[in-house]
Amino acid sequence: MSPPVLQVEGLAVRMRTEGGVAEILDDVSLTVPRGGTVGVVGESGCGKSTLLRAILGILPKGGETPRGAILFEGRDILSDRAASARGRIGFVPQDPYLSLNPVFRAGDQILEIMRRHAPGSRADRKRRIVELFRAVQLPDPEAALRKYPHQFSGGQRQRLLIAAALACDPALLVADEPTTALDVTTQREILALLRRLVAERGLSLLFVTHDFGVLASVCAEVTVLYAGRVAERGPTRAVLDAPRHPYTRLLLACHPDRATDLLGIPGTVPAATAQPGGCRFHPRCPIIHSGCPVEPPPLVALPGGRAVACPWHEDAIPEALRA
Amino acid sequence: MPEILGASQLVVELGARRGLLRHRAGVRAVDGVEISIAEGETFGIVGESGCGKTTLARTLLGLQRESAGEVRLEGRVVSGLDPRAARRARDAIQYVHQDPGAALDPWWRVGATLAEGLAIHGVGDRAEQQARIAGMLRAVGLDAALADRYPHELSGGQQRRIGLARILLLRPKVVILDEPTAGLDLSVQAAVLRLLRDLRAQFGLTYVFISHDLSVVRRVCDRVAVMYLGRVVEEGSAATLFAEPRHPYTRALIAAAPHLDGRESGPSLPGDPPSLRAVPPGCRFHPRCAHAAPSCATSEPVREVAAADHAVACLRWRVLA
Repeated sequence: MSPPVLQVEGLAVRMRTEGGVAEILDDVSLTVPRGGTVGVVGESGCGKSTLLRAILGILPKGGETPRGAILFEGRDILSDRAASARGRIGFVPQDPYLSLNPVFRAGDQILEIMRRHAPGSRADRKRRIVELFRAVQLPDPEAALRKYPHQFSGGQRQRLLIAAALACDPALLVADEPTTALDVTTQREILALLRRLVAERGLSLLFVTHDFGVLASVCAEVTVLYAGRVAERGPTRAVLDAPRHPYTRLLLACHPDRATDLLGIPGTVPAATAQPGGCRFHPRCPIIHSGCPVEPPPLVALPGGRAVACPWHEDAIPEALRA
Repeated sequence: MPEILGASQLVVELGARRGLLRHRAGVRAVDGVEISIAEGETFGIVGESGCGKTTLARTLLGLQRESAGEVRLEGRVVSGLDPRAARRARDAIQYVHQDPGAALDPWWRVGATLAEGLAIHGVGDRAEQQARIAGMLRAVGLDAALADRYPHELSGGQQRRIGLARILLLRPKVVILDEPTAGLDLSVQAAVLRLLRDLRAQFGLTYVFISHDLSVVRRVCDRVAVMYLGRVVEEGSAATLFAEPRHPYTRALIAAAPHLDGRESGPSLPGDPPSLRAVPPGCRFHPRCAHAAPSCATSEPVREVAAADHAVACLRWRVLA
């Protein structure tokens, strides 16, 4: 069996800020199998964007990775020597409006990426871009080369960025909420496109989102992050149908499709410079036990390929919370 | 319940320029809209970007002048006035901005921002201002001490609450909520929606709820209007509209929304809405409609009653039903 495309093992990310040292990620492990689609879900401040940045090697200044490893196709890309392997990771950014340079033509922007990572003559590269534009279903691909970003609609710009992510023949696509800026109708088309590309090209996908509906339509597996740690992971269907971690349970109860009443979660996500000891969810948790503030709970495997970081995951959530 | 806010044949033209020699036609961002909002209800307006929902809201509010048609508030006609008079006549309508952080002055303490609104509306007495502000902060679920903070010290959820407090201090009857949950995390969104529901009951409010999130609209709205290229194409009670959508556009919108169970229903809606500068003849939706017949390209559909409290503007809704 071939090794997984991406393996994150026990990753910690620290950031020096004015308010002190922020522990953005702590002991995060995650595997993207070859051809797999893995979602990372969580609320703002849970560290999902930092995880992507660490994988892409673009942590902001002051960010460091004191522990852990990131293996891409078996090579540790946290060490400088293997960093060039990152050329085979394609990135689809969040905002199609901000991610293109308004003064350069679409074709030239992608050519620039290819000059860095892909061999071949300029004519070869151009031919390849037209093929890619066709693959992402941009109308009139030849003409699109010479257009400027403002001449495309939001959905078309996102297609353009997906084409750019595919330009260097990646093994892994990493997408950061690629549809939040789009209308639902366009969102559905972009998600369908991503699913098709992953299936047809044998790509693997790591998809960050805060939208469980989007997650359900794209990802076979999910990792739920809370305050920089993995709360729970498993097959998406199983996690959404029967969440185990109290955080996942409360969060899903907030979903308008699901809620019998709108619950909310008491309290707020802790600041990264002031993470609570023990389980990071304990100050907000409805089923807190005496050990929770002391010892961080390990991620324990459950049947069905699932894992949860809560020893009390079988406890019922008290009805009192359901106002 | 009687109508509190309504519009008939409302047209709003944007970007028209009348020069000495050259005359540039504008685009009709709102083109013949009929709505009637009953007192105490939450009325949802949905549609893709550019469908005219925000322009409609700004016009109801009196910030944007209507080009034709009528706006009614509490039984009085409040349209056809000059901008200043229009806004004064619509004092009972207030607007909660989509991005509450951007709507607060970063250099002012939150309390000062809240007091300014009161001062503009004639409450000049400092002690009364302070008392009302403290009371309102508690009503929106915040600590009264937050009045001394600056906007950047507040979380997204707290900023939304401040945005609401600021508006409710002016004692409006109708509150226009423009994407009130956009950009909020699920847990914060649930808390904000619950707060909105409680405030509506406590202050006897009517909401105009503009959103592109159909799951949220389905949950919190009593009635819903679906807009496409400046027109209302379907309107009805949220229960009927989501259970039995009649317009192909409404069906496509509902089908496009992602669901927790991962199911996808119905065909997708390819492409983008056409530009307002090139509105298709006949039914505006026909070029994107999976069910369009030749007649759809030539005749314009009119609003028809499909059921009690359910109207649709589609030539073929009977055939498709």
